[in-house]
Amino acid sequence: MTAAVLPQTEIAIAVQSLRKRYGSVEALKGIDFAVQTGEIFGLIGPDGAGKTTTFQILAGVMQATAGEVSVLGTEPRHARLNLGYVTQKFSLYPDLSILKNMRYSAGLRRVPEARFETRASELLGRVGLDRFRDRLAGQLSGGMKQKLALCCALVSGPKILLLDEPTTGVDPVSRREFWDLLAAVAAEGVTVVAATPYLDEAERCHRIALIYAGEIQQIGTLQELRNRLGLRRIEVRAEPLDQAEVALNQSRGGPLPSPLPGGEGTGKIPPALLKKGGSADSGTESPLFKGAATAGDPTQAIVDIQTFGDRLDVMVSDAERGSEQIRAVLADRGIHLSDLRQDEPTLENVFVNRLRQQGLDPAYLDFPAYRSGKEPGGIALETRQLQKTFGDFHAVRGVDITVHYGEIYGLLGANGAGKTTVIKMLCGLLPPSGGEVELAGETSRLDRSEVRSRIGYMSQKFTLYDDLTIRQNLEFYCGVYGVPQPLQREKIDWVLETCGLVGQDHLLTGSLPGGWKQRVSFGASVMHEPDILFLDEPTSGVDPLARRQFWRLIRDFARRGTAILVTTHYLEEAENCNTMAFMVAGDIVAQGSPSQIKAGQPGQLIELVSAQTQAASNLLKQRLASWRVSIFGDRLHLVLDDPDRDLAAVQQWLQEAQIAVQSTRPIPFSLEDAFIGIVQRAETTQRAKAP
Amino acid sequence: MKRVFSQALKELNQFRRDRLTMALAFVLPLAVLLIYGYAIRLEAKNIPLSIQDFDDSFLSRTYVERLFATNQFVFTPTVGRDPTSALDQGIAKATVIIPPDFERQIKLHQPVTVQTLIDGTDVNNARVIQNSLRATTQFFLRSSNLVPEQARSPIRPQVRLWFNPGRREALYIVPGIFGVILWVFPSMLAAIALVREKEQGTLVQVYASDLSAVEWLLGKELAYLLVGLGEALVVMTVATVLFGLRLRGDPTPLLVGLVIYLAAAVAFGLLVGARAGNQTGAVQGTAIAGFLTALLLSGFIYRLENIPFPLSLLSNVIPARYFIVITRDAFVRGTGWVGVWYAPLAIALIGGFFFRTATRILHRMQFAD
Repeated sequence: MTAAVLPQTEIAIAVQSLRKRYGSVEALKGIDFAVQTGEIFGLIGPDGAGKTTTFQILAGVMQATAGEVSVLGTEPRHARLNLGYVTQKFSLYPDLSILKNMRYSAGLRRVPEARFETRASELLGRVGLDRFRDRLAGQLSGGMKQKLALCCALVSGPKILLLDEPTTGVDPVSRREFWDLLAAVAAEGVTVVAATPYLDEAERCHRIALIYAGEIQQIGTLQELRNRLGLRRIEVRAEPLDQAEVALNQSRGGPLPSPLPGGEGTGKIPPALLKKGGSADSGTESPLFKGAATAGDPTQAIVDIQTFGDRLDVMVSDAERGSEQIRAVLADRGIHLSDLRQDEPTLENVFVNRLRQQGLDPAYLDFPAYRSGKEPGGIALETRQLQKTFGDFHAVRGVDITVHYGEIYGLLGANGAGKTTVIKMLCGLLPPSGGEVELAGETSRLDRSEVRSRIGYMSQKFTLYDDLTIRQNLEFYCGVYGVPQPLQREKIDWVLETCGLVGQDHLLTGSLPGGWKQRVSFGASVMHEPDILFLDEPTSGVDPLARRQFWRLIRDFARRGTAILVTTHYLEEAENCNTMAFMVAGDIVAQGSPSQIKAGQPGQLIELVSAQTQAASNLLKQRLASWRVSIFGDRLHLVLDDPDRDLAAVQQWLQEAQIAVQSTRPIPFSLEDAFIGIVQRAETTQRAKAP
Repeated sequence: MKRVFSQALKELNQFRRDRLTMALAFVLPLAVLLIYGYAIRLEAKNIPLSIQDFDDSFLSRTYVERLFATNQFVFTPTVGRDPTSALDQGIAKATVIIPPDFERQIKLHQPVTVQTLIDGTDVNNARVIQNSLRATTQFFLRSSNLVPEQARSPIRPQVRLWFNPGRREALYIVPGIFGVILWVFPSMLAAIALVREKEQGTLVQVYASDLSAVEWLLGKELAYLLVGLGEALVVMTVATVLFGLRLRGDPTPLLVGLVIYLAAAVAFGLLVGARAGNQTGAVQGTAIAGFLTALLLSGFIYRLENIPFPLSLLSNVIPARYFIVITRDAFVRGTGWVGVWYAPLAIALIGGFFFRTATRILHRMQFAD
């Protein structure tokens, strides 16, 4: 398969037992990989895994401690003029115009002035920035900055393109366009090495390397990785979902001693505590996982269960037996099964499984709670036509949100869509310019301390003091939120344990990696057990395992009656929410449960496999609207409104162009597909209305 | 060389766009010029003096009139009976007590004692007051013909002030301010420009190309040298208008010295920028180092010869010291190359050292471990 996509097998980059050490920290512990010419190679891993270090060594801007790196057959430093390097922060000069930024990049790489002119026009035209040549880079949106950074990297016509998380915080539409560009660039023979924390993006690479803690865990095509996992994923939608999870967990053999909770009595122990009761033993999931691989019990097919906002993902060793088992268990308990769907495992499943096998799953501990939470169901917070303007800029234009106690509400959108502004207004940190807010039954003076004491807020910039130790930070927040003295110790210990920081509490907070800091920060924001919790991008930069645990924690809080409003730009994470809203430029463009939003999409997503993916894409982008076609590794994804009619047309077009189609099959929409569809359709109708 | 120019061009474009650095380059220096130019007065003037005249005769009143005729003292009424209370309360800096038999004793050609109390808190001013009171007393004796002609000294020095006959203080202070301003601000701008590339991550792109440290730094050097020349033009023009400074004699030492001095200042800024991790560090590093050395160890205010031994060695490597020699010559002395030939050489040597060190720090054009 790989050979079909990549006729050349020339090696562009070869890395052998590469090590990098910063003082006593080993950032890279001997990694090996090779990238072929014209390949899109994905380096996937959480913050602090060693991605940026690898890129800096490949780009020749940092020296390796040990190991061999060959770029285009020479040392990275000697290959620098043939490299394009896009960094996380884009490395643009905000006070220079688009064209001047490009001119500077060209000058750095000795591009003759005459060639620069044609090259710049061509590139800018291709990414649609031609009209904005004289606009300052600092005034561009995230998506435009990203495209400009790519143009700067491509202006010298490099043979290798290094992209270090170029899409973080950029809106999904721009991200998809960006990857389409990359596919086109790669098809012209440029080798692309890209890092991304978005696992769905990684699926668009030819080959993927999973990197974690300075080591490469796995390398292969997406299909190879999935096959190696040897598991199938089953999406289960059932009512009530809580009970379904408990039942399936029990049937899997999870240590669940207590009967099902009724849910109505307030005097009872909250269900969350029961469900996670066995997790104090840290290996709840991992040993079973290994057990499943050996298939000790022939009737036992369920390997892992993950809860999302409105569905369960059940990983099974065999699809048929797994489905049967799920049906049987749920029927046995009298739980209504509304939908059961088989699908391929996601890259996240692969990643999480791999890390678990290594025993890297952190222990999960219960939060010591002393106050009974709110009864789920009541309205915790409601906004009507909430607006905010900064000067003549409308940051938020008429937002209606209702969040109930016990609900996880996700607010999604790219950087600059207005998510943070909404949260700040709800917390009383920013006065709204218009509209009403009802918070915990109060409608006015939301900045009073009685109201404040009932809300928790964790911002995307960690609200911790870098120059205090972890314990001092937590003690400080205990004091701020008025946690009673006798309870302080216990709560602080809990935070330390959940974050895996026991015995490290004397460390300076500033010295922690981003993900850990965020966990401490979350601990600090929930120590006073707020009724309403605001989480502003809580998981960016956290590794998948920790992120999963983080969501488990959030769900626990929700089950106890806490209303949770969370923002994120990871669309895949939105699946964890009960209800979600998409924001674009200050407006909510869609609202509902993840399933509702996906189901609300007209048409069908079709996966098309062809030997000439790029040619097929180019052709179809001309015939269909460009957003309906995107390249995922060696496949094409097409959004067709009426698949029966349109698919025939597509096949005929391809046949006329003599592009062979190997297979087509319908696949379910992801949230990202849904989002892009919503935005693009909205734009199309707007444009239709305009003239 | 082309790449150096394109670096400089980019740097100037950025500089032009950023209002904050523009303000830092032109507004702050003018503010410093005005504050220092008007605030620093070394000459003692308007000293509050109180008098207790127990004699109240013709002669004593003439003596008191003489004291205030110098314009150096202003009359301050005494407080109560106690002659020291005006000093204690800080109302007067000095008190002169004239005894009841002042006129009588003088007429009898007997020496008379006039008690003078001077506030010694400010040592320098105390000495100035002391000298001034002595001189006025001498003048009073002479003008009242109380000293016989033959008692006069056989040697009479005929004093003429050279270069600054009007003893205008601005001529002494303002050329020194040039030394401070044209050191601190160009170096600060250069340091910020360098550190900003670290902070914004744009430095990585430079690392990822094959541009050498020398080329990169020369580009910035060139850009901020031009900015510095602009600053110098503005500051010197304003100063000539406000403080009545005029160029004297040959202007070439000033022109040559100015370019070399600005280049050294920018090189110093680049050195600080290469070391500092963020803009705060860069600003503090250049401002503190610049102000301290250019103010205290350069001869701007305090005589170099007064600096005690180990510190006096340090003053030899302060470029401001040499530049102030050049500016004072250009605006006050006007002797030309004869008096200052060594100063540009010394500045060039020190500036070259700064630039060399900055390139050494960045020579690998890679991240440090």
